Amino acid sequence: MPSVSSLREASEALAAAHADGRRCRIGDDLTTAGLDRILEHEAGDLTCTVEAGIRLSALNAALSRHSQRLSLDPPGDPTVGTLLAENLSGPLRHRFGAPRDLVLGVTLVLADGTIASAGGKVVKNVAGYDLARLVCGSLGRLALIARVSFRLHPLPKASRTLVVETDDAPAVVAALLRSQLQPSALDVLHPGRVVVLFEGSPRAVEAQLATARALVGGSEADAEVWEESRRRQGAARGRVRFEPGRLADVLAELPEAVVRPAAGVAYVPYDAADDLPESVRRLTERIRRELDPKGVFAA
Amino acid sequence: MSLTAAFVAELQEALGAEHVITEPEQLRVYECDGLTGHRAVPELVVLPHSTEEVQAVVRACHRERVPFVARGAGTGLSGGATPVAGGVVVSLARMNRILEVDLESRRVVVEPGVANLDVTRAVAGEGFFYAPDPSSQQVCTIGGNVAENSGGAHCLKYGFTVHHVTGLTLVLPDGEVVELGGKALDPDGPDLLGVVVGSEGTLGIVTRITLRVVRSPEAVRTLLAGFETTDAAGAAVSGIIAAGILPSAIEMMDRLTIEAAELAVAPGYPEGAGAVLLVELDGVAAQVEEDAAEVERICRECGAFEFRAAADEASRALLWKGRKSAFAAMGRVATDYYVQDGVVPRTRLPEVLRRIEELSRAHGLRVGNVFHAGDGNLHPLVLYDAEKGETAQARELAEAILDACLDAGGSLTGEHGVGMDKACSMPRMFSERDLEVFGRLRRAFDPDGLCNPGKVIPTPRLCGEVPGPYRIHALERIGVAERL
Repeated sequence: MPSVSSLREASEALAAAHADGRRCRIGDDLTTAGLDRILEHEAGDLTCTVEAGIRLSALNAALSRHSQRLSLDPPGDPTVGTLLAENLSGPLRHRFGAPRDLVLGVTLVLADGTIASAGGKVVKNVAGYDLARLVCGSLGRLALIARVSFRLHPLPKASRTLVVETDDAPAVVAALLRSQLQPSALDVLHPGRVVVLFEGSPRAVEAQLATARALVGGSEADAEVWEESRRRQGAARGRVRFEPGRLADVLAELPEAVVRPAAGVAYVPYDAADDLPESVRRLTERIRRELDPKGVFAA
Repeated sequence: MSLTAAFVAELQEALGAEHVITEPEQLRVYECDGLTGHRAVPELVVLPHSTEEVQAVVRACHRERVPFVARGAGTGLSGGATPVAGGVVVSLARMNRILEVDLESRRVVVEPGVANLDVTRAVAGEGFFYAPDPSSQQVCTIGGNVAENSGGAHCLKYGFTVHHVTGLTLVLPDGEVVELGGKALDPDGPDLLGVVVGSEGTLGIVTRITLRVVRSPEAVRTLLAGFETTDAAGAAVSGIIAAGILPSAIEMMDRLTIEAAELAVAPGYPEGAGAVLLVELDGVAAQVEEDAAEVERICRECGAFEFRAAADEASRALLWKGRKSAFAAMGRVATDYYVQDGVVPRTRLPEVLRRIEELSRAHGLRVGNVFHAGDGNLHPLVLYDAEKGETAQARELAEAILDACLDAGGSLTGEHGVGMDKACSMPRMFSERDLEVFGRLRRAFDPDGLCNPGKVIPTPRLCGEVPGPYRIHALERIGVAERL
């Protein structure tokens, strides 16, 4: 599997495929495994710019030396490019969002080899169209993601986990979300458990944990339960989206699932995909035809 | 261009004659937005009341190839709502209903003409708020916020409009209606919602928005620190961020702005200060207390000669009043001013501020600085006197400040948008290829170029044939050897 190790190589490989009318599927016919450098980490700005082939674990290991992290924790250890292309997130989604919420800018290589940048590396910027968000969830069908700039967060000084065993998860979730607690993660490991992560200074985390226990009970657990959540999410075959207010109805229908109640997303053990409206599919197709008229990236 | 009588009659039929404005006197009301230097009188203004009516207008425009521009409250500062001569302005002022408050889902569904602050008002009683808070929040509309991806003082912690919109109904420039997202997050496929938010009304007209509202924090602490110099205040900002503290806002004002604010609203800022920092912390009480003590320690270490916390809601409001009235207060010290909206990486703030001071001296015009220091978003106010013929000079100085921001690896605009004002400056931040790809995306939505034409992307007609000097894009600079 040919791997490119520079923007120029990526551009040339795609321009050649484009000229020859060949398909070039990202991840199969061309990978960014060789594009794996951290180009810049401005600790004082809480931003970094990396090549898309770097693995999340490698990035976070480097950032942790400066007590910072990219606040995304999906199952497995995807490359940054995959993280964006598949819009992956984990339990931290509750507070920190999905890749689209943390990406500041991208450099893309289009199917015809055109290299284009959008966004920037500052946390606030509204100049130009947001191609960085556009490629989030694009599954490699719009452009090759070559470089990404991210907003980072400080590593918390302390983190503690509360597990609430319950047969009424919706009530526990509602109480927590109605409170003024600010958990970093809040998962329902359905059936039977609600899991909450508090991060911050040791004293503030202690206070949050005490308030939460007074509110919904439960007992402290070690961080292993988040591994379980990620493991089950990674093993799930499908994903169901729902109005957050309808959590009870959704749980009543599901035999088992990992549920992110504030986002309205459940990872389920059977095939399930979004039923995107036809009009959205048509619009997406129009964008694809403009960016990749010859279908170089087509599945 | 002149619209046909049949076209006008068709829209009168669809919307009711009283919602189609053709009187020249009334049309002039719509000739500009907050960027008053750019004006064009539209041929027609329509005030639709529903998605279907917007669709009828857009379909007719598409069929007759008539350009159209959507408009909210007209408070934008970049000319994003400047009409196209001979075109139609679609005012969304009548679509101002809050359609649904669903606090179980923490969502509010609104029409685009709803004022920003009215969303918070609708949920405040239940202990929730809508986080993006642009200075114009009393009047600016959610539709306009969506177009500009508006921020505000508190976006440092809470994010921008794009982080708070979970669903949109969009009328495409050919009249087709698309539903993007909904109450649940993370729909499959490319993030089209994220592209439409901040597209400055060039990809279609948004007619319904689903917003995320946030639970009000347990504790809020507003702190004020006075420094001798902006350098010292800048060092304190860096220190706060480096300590791992994420305030909801960090605002800075320099000497000139402090003086103007004192004259206007007397917020009681420290006398003789060369800079003040306004820092707001919110969240769980234990964390806020701890962070407040840490912020005080850092500020004093960086040379703050005065430090105080707002004792109650009234004194908090007064501290903010000084900040929020800063632009208007400039009227006390100058006849005219131009607001710039550049961004720099926050670690480069002190050096860019020194550069602005140099430029100010070199151009012989005063510059007041008031800005969102936490995220590096500068709002230098270039003071001038139009009657003394200083307008061109002021413009030049504002451009030079923008160059200084871009040289530091920043951006052309942090929240005011590109619009007409900065379309011709885009080549200073983006390469020809970047802009060409922007053009391709726009064509996918609007192949006929009818939807808010002349905004965001520079055109030869608008800017002349010679684009400004291209600077290497911030992302390219990092690996500059690889630039093709």
